[in-house]
Amino acid sequence: MAAYIVRRLLLMLVTLIGMSILIFVMLRLVPGNITDIIFDSAGFVNPAQKKKIERQLGLDQPIAVQYVTWIGGLMRGDLGYAYVSEKPAIEEILPRIPVTAKLALLALIFSIIIGVPLGVVSAVRQNTTLDYVLRVLSLSGLSLPSFWLGLLILMAFVQFWGWIPIYRSDTGSIWEEIALLSIPAAAVGFRSSALVMRLTRSSMLEVLRQDYIRTARAKGASDTSVNYDHALRNAVLPVVTIIGIEAAFLIGGLIVTETVFNVPGVARFLVEAIRWRDYPIVQNLVMFIAIIVVVVNFLVDLMYVVLDPRIKYEE
Amino acid sequence: MAVVDHSAELARAGANVRGWTGSLLFFVRRYPLGAIGAVIMAAFVLTALFADQISTFDPFTTNARISLARPGGEHILGADFMGRDVFARIVYGARISLAVSVGATVLGCLIGVTIGLMSGFFGGWFDLIVQRLMDIMQSLPLLVMALVMAASLGPSLTNTIIAIAIPLVPNVARIIRSNTLSLREMPFVEAARAIGMSETRIAVVHVLPNTLAPLIVLATAQLGSAILVESSLAFLGLGVPEPHPSWGRMLSESAAEYVRTAPWLVIFPGIAISAVVFGTNLFGDAIRDILDPRQRM
Amino acid sequence: MRISFGFAAAFSVALLGQVLPVLAQKQGGTLRIYHRSTPPSASIHEEATIDTVQGFMPVFNNLVVFDQTKPLNTPETIVPDLAESWSWDATNTKLTFKLHSGVKWHDGKPFTAKDVQCTWNKLIGKDQDDFRKNPRAIWWQNLKEVTVNGDLEATFVLNRPQPAFLSLFASGYTPVYPCHVSAKDMRTSPVGTGPFKFVEFKRGESIKLVRNPDYFKKGKPHVDAIDWKIIENRSTRILAFVAGEFDMTFGTDVTIPLLKDVQSQAPKATCEVAPTYVSTNLIVNPKAPPFNDPKVREAMALTLDRKAFSDTLSGGQANIAGVMLPPPEGVWGMPPEVMETMPGYSKDVDKNRAEARKIMESLGYSESKPLKVKVSTRNIAVYRDPAVLLIDQLKKIYIEGELEVIDNSIWHAKVTRNEFSVGLNLTGVGVDDPDVNLYENYSCESERNLTKYCNKEVDALIDKQSQEADKEKRKKIVWDIERKLAADLARPIILYDRAATCWQPHLKGFVLHHNSIYNNWRYEDVWLDK
Repeated sequence: MAAYIVRRLLLMLVTLIGMSILIFVMLRLVPGNITDIIFDSAGFVNPAQKKKIERQLGLDQPIAVQYVTWIGGLMRGDLGYAYVSEKPAIEEILPRIPVTAKLALLALIFSIIIGVPLGVVSAVRQNTTLDYVLRVLSLSGLSLPSFWLGLLILMAFVQFWGWIPIYRSDTGSIWEEIALLSIPAAAVGFRSSALVMRLTRSSMLEVLRQDYIRTARAKGASDTSVNYDHALRNAVLPVVTIIGIEAAFLIGGLIVTETVFNVPGVARFLVEAIRWRDYPIVQNLVMFIAIIVVVVNFLVDLMYVVLDPRIKYEE
Repeated sequence: MAVVDHSAELARAGANVRGWTGSLLFFVRRYPLGAIGAVIMAAFVLTALFADQISTFDPFTTNARISLARPGGEHILGADFMGRDVFARIVYGARISLAVSVGATVLGCLIGVTIGLMSGFFGGWFDLIVQRLMDIMQSLPLLVMALVMAASLGPSLTNTIIAIAIPLVPNVARIIRSNTLSLREMPFVEAARAIGMSETRIAVVHVLPNTLAPLIVLATAQLGSAILVESSLAFLGLGVPEPHPSWGRMLSESAAEYVRTAPWLVIFPGIAISAVVFGTNLFGDAIRDILDPRQRM
Repeated sequence: MRISFGFAAAFSVALLGQVLPVLAQKQGGTLRIYHRSTPPSASIHEEATIDTVQGFMPVFNNLVVFDQTKPLNTPETIVPDLAESWSWDATNTKLTFKLHSGVKWHDGKPFTAKDVQCTWNKLIGKDQDDFRKNPRAIWWQNLKEVTVNGDLEATFVLNRPQPAFLSLFASGYTPVYPCHVSAKDMRTSPVGTGPFKFVEFKRGESIKLVRNPDYFKKGKPHVDAIDWKIIENRSTRILAFVAGEFDMTFGTDVTIPLLKDVQSQAPKATCEVAPTYVSTNLIVNPKAPPFNDPKVREAMALTLDRKAFSDTLSGGQANIAGVMLPPPEGVWGMPPEVMETMPGYSKDVDKNRAEARKIMESLGYSESKPLKVKVSTRNIAVYRDPAVLLIDQLKKIYIEGELEVIDNSIWHAKVTRNEFSVGLNLTGVGVDDPDVNLYENYSCESERNLTKYCNKEVDALIDKQSQEADKEKRKKIVWDIERKLAADLARPIILYDRAATCWQPHLKGFVLHHNSIYNNWRYEDVWLDK
């Protein structure tokens, strides 16, 4: 077990180093750099001045040197200075994380609360009208562009309540903030809940066909007991896996939703930083996301190993 | 995983398999939702193919007089801000969406299959490096990856397709690799090797066809998601650029500007996207039921 | 409901608001406004965008300013700001400002004439700690030096007389900066003398300003704070305004097609339609064949159907214009009957196009053998939409345009390097004065002359009008220049757009300027009737 964990940790490190190189190179392939952006808002370009700024920011140095400078700083916990705001990158990134984290957590809770029970019901009532209705509903959840859904929700609120659920920084209490964030969270969670529901359903169905379930039934256990005590417990494992992975990948869905609901989180900030060619922000933020994804994957695998003794941990 | 014999599979399920029409009828009866999905997809493909016959208007011609014209009359779905016929743009937009979804899926699958097959078959250091590369690519959410790709490639139809295809590669490569690994040890592969077949030939002739089932399942699921990713990219200003009538951009830009002034600009492209994605999802579900018995619902 | 469509209505409403007896202003409250995007920086002198000016003008003062309570900017509406008075010497080359005493910067340091000198030394490149970029350097090309006499007098020494020089000081683009704050700090946390102090600027989120209790204009400002919330998605921000989340929209953010919706959803709000003085213009690279042939350029000028542009882009309300904004809002533009005599401005588009086709045919182009060209523009709807219309209009004269969407980051770089043949651009004009507009966009020396159009004859005429003190005579020279520019197809203006700015009924004391979007955001007279 210990060897397995060490091996996994080493692989994680390799992945992260690779990610750092990939994002570093890809960013520099994006046409235009920060000096182009700086001059864009002035409506002209002064080549001499542009060169000067490039020199100040170290953009004139060979790409390998730039990479080493970045990684070196990262090792010391120094993320460098954001190009656009001219503030330390950490000061730009850190304050934006909690709001995104809250949003992601709420969306996750939402998707579990909706997805798991509906999945179970759908599996137990397989091929009934209810099952069909739920399956069609979940598929429709996966078929709507999320920004569209978000805008429709906003419009409905303004139309019917004359109030708009966009982010406010001055909410009085944490509960008010949660209430406010729960609306965009529902918009993101709707899609995830469809995924969770479908997975719960197929996982349940598979378990329901297993021998021990048949045995339990043969022994005269009640349907309810079989469905919820025996089957659900065993079906939960793959669901946990997908929820874990989905949690990390919620970031993708958050980009669009944060834009529509004007939530000042990291996901939207990343898009803005890419647009502004703000390398220090993009590089560090992407690494941050990659670390989260890698760690969550690792934890999910670990949990799998712990929960399911049938799985051997040699790869 | 063994070869899935379609008709045997159907026969086992109790179908009266009698040729092509028979299996079609069976499919419709056994998977009504899948059949609906297939119909939607067929309609989508036909619209794309016969766009010039279906629409009487040119999707690019602007006309100041009908700017934001309501639906009805000559322009059945109304006109956009530039006075272009919305129906024509949606019909021609089917081509763009088809190109994006099929293009990205096929491209992603081609690269993924090649990598996965080589990785699984040759193993060794090649496999090791490729696996790490796939790890790296999978450590970013798909949309983030597509976003960075789209930004670095610049706005064009081809680049958008590439940007959506690349993040798909690791998923495909993973599945093909694991299948290849188990197939490599199968008796029929051993036999082929014994009679002196080259490794490449074995890979292409014997292993590849047997990995098709999971690939098809993955690919059908991807068709719809490519369209959604394109629309999200468009919303973030990075999708297929003008003048191509992309559904994603039509929807996202109208949604940003005319969501209330001219709701038809938002509703119709929105319906087009949702319907096609819905259709591919329904169809994909049915395909998975047929081809991937382990996950049978 | 005080919503106005046509100019006459908008104008009379504005006048009405001004003539009405000033009610006792209420103090207090927070002014909530949305911002359409994150300003590139807080340093007004280094930027050429309304995003920075509107957000940060309340932090600063100018020497003089266009009257914030009058809708038109003219030399007659210039009022004192930091300068109490000003005077020209006998040679008309020395402009002396007497400064207000007892003014303090927000950090407590006293404001003196030295600060004035510092600011303009940076603008004319005499200061060591210079700006990263100086987009309006051309405004001050005639300025030789700034001298000070004690703490309260500064004199601007010019190379030659320039009667309109004072107007340059009155723009929102021309605040006075402190000597003791670095250019970098001015970009991130600006220090001014203005009615509001800078508190914080969070990218993509908010800008917060708070009332300056030591403001030298006694009794002002009336609100306690200004809270900007940055909302990039237009649907979201318009919905938020309609839902009453904001007291005011961003300047000219409500386009004509959106206006109807805002009016029906928020019937009590005031929406004023005014020219943006941002032109939609065509840029043609005269060095790229076949556009080096004046005949091709002439044909292109003839195919432009400006009315079709206006009809589509702004419900027919945009100003069809030459270089200067036409009356009644514009002070220097041509009336329609004069404009129609310029090449390409005649109303008979069909006739123009027939003529253009003849020209093209004489050059060997035809329906079956069109001239293929890439039309480049930025990847933003306000650029792309007119570019799509342009391509459609070029088709009528055997020019087959293909839209080339260029990423925002490299647009100016590409244009500066002349890597385009035909493009579509937007250009804002800071002050409604020929000295600003003509020098900036058409003189050989200007860095912001994107097409690098250079005609010595035109340059001489621009200098000539700049020295003409008589308004009517100057206008005639300006019109002569306009004709030459139109004939040369030098960055022809397609139109000047119009858009609405809306505010809630409880917001009082705000007057929208009608011939510039850059000059009326001091917010010192605004109060909330709540």
